[in-house]
Amino acid sequence: MRYVKWTLISLITLIVFGFAHYTLPQHDVVRITGTEVIRQDFSGWNRIFYAQPDSGNAVGINRDLRLIYAAYPDGGVMVYRNEDTSWGWPPYFKFDTSNLQGETADLVSTRAAPQWAVITHYGWRNEFLSIYPNAISVRQVDSPDVTIIPWFNIIFLTLVALILLWIYRKIQKFRQARIDPVLEDLGKAWDKVEDQADAMGDRASGLWGRALAWLGTWRSKK
Amino acid sequence: MIGGIRLFAIAFVVLTVIYAYLSLMQRWRCRKQLEAEFDAGGIDGSRDDYVDKGMAEYRGSFRRKLILGVYIIPLMVVMTLIYVSNYM
Repeated sequence: MRYVKWTLISLITLIVFGFAHYTLPQHDVVRITGTEVIRQDFSGWNRIFYAQPDSGNAVGINRDLRLIYAAYPDGGVMVYRNEDTSWGWPPYFKFDTSNLQGETADLVSTRAAPQWAVITHYGWRNEFLSIYPNAISVRQVDSPDVTIIPWFNIIFLTLVALILLWIYRKIQKFRQARIDPVLEDLGKAWDKVEDQADAMGDRASGLWGRALAWLGTWRSKK
Repeated sequence: MIGGIRLFAIAFVVLTVIYAYLSLMQRWRCRKQLEAEFDAGGIDGSRDDYVDKGMAEYRGSFRRKLILGVYIIPLMVVMTLIYVSNYM
């Protein structure tokens, strides 16, 4: 049974951590190599990893998807999508997708003459599901060796930790103030019931013995 | 834009529930405190009069209006996010 408990706890931790890792913003220092618009059909498997059509447009089963191609300083490649989250989830309230595409196109550079940029994004790149991280914003930096401090993540996670601590303390206080006394009373009441049952048992064995003896008198008479 | 209307409709309902709960809790706590103050002794006049006067003061107090922050704060957060995501 211990295995069940720990498996459950680690599963829940994994899901919560994965959800936070997907939804919270991350920063990449990259060199933009190009932008493109492709037609994308979403299946059941990867539909949840895409956002909705641009704010104000109609919804269909396929639509044009803006992509941003980028290269890491070590040569690796990353592809971002560029979609409106508008009023939906995650609550980035991103409406300026076309503007971002324009800004990114302005920063396209070659390997010979690189222009470095920091892309803020959320989401995962998975080739098997064909899902891309969603680029939120882009800004130019002078070199690939910038120190990036994730301010939003720090503040957000600290607030979440404080709120969880507050909830935990409230539950503790509530338990001490209300539930423990009731449990104590329940425990005492149960002890009393047990004592009564024992007393009745003693009486019954006395009664039972006498009843059996009386029955026995009938049997021997027959 | 229907997404925005949906978001604000759901947010309004949820925040109204939270506002109602906080408002009732604050009012109940104020009343309990006034009754405890009277029961502690040393106040002349009837209990009901004292509590009613205290509740009338509470009704006009600033603390009561502070609960409207339940509507204001999420609105401010959303507006800040929209500015940061789109105009910075």
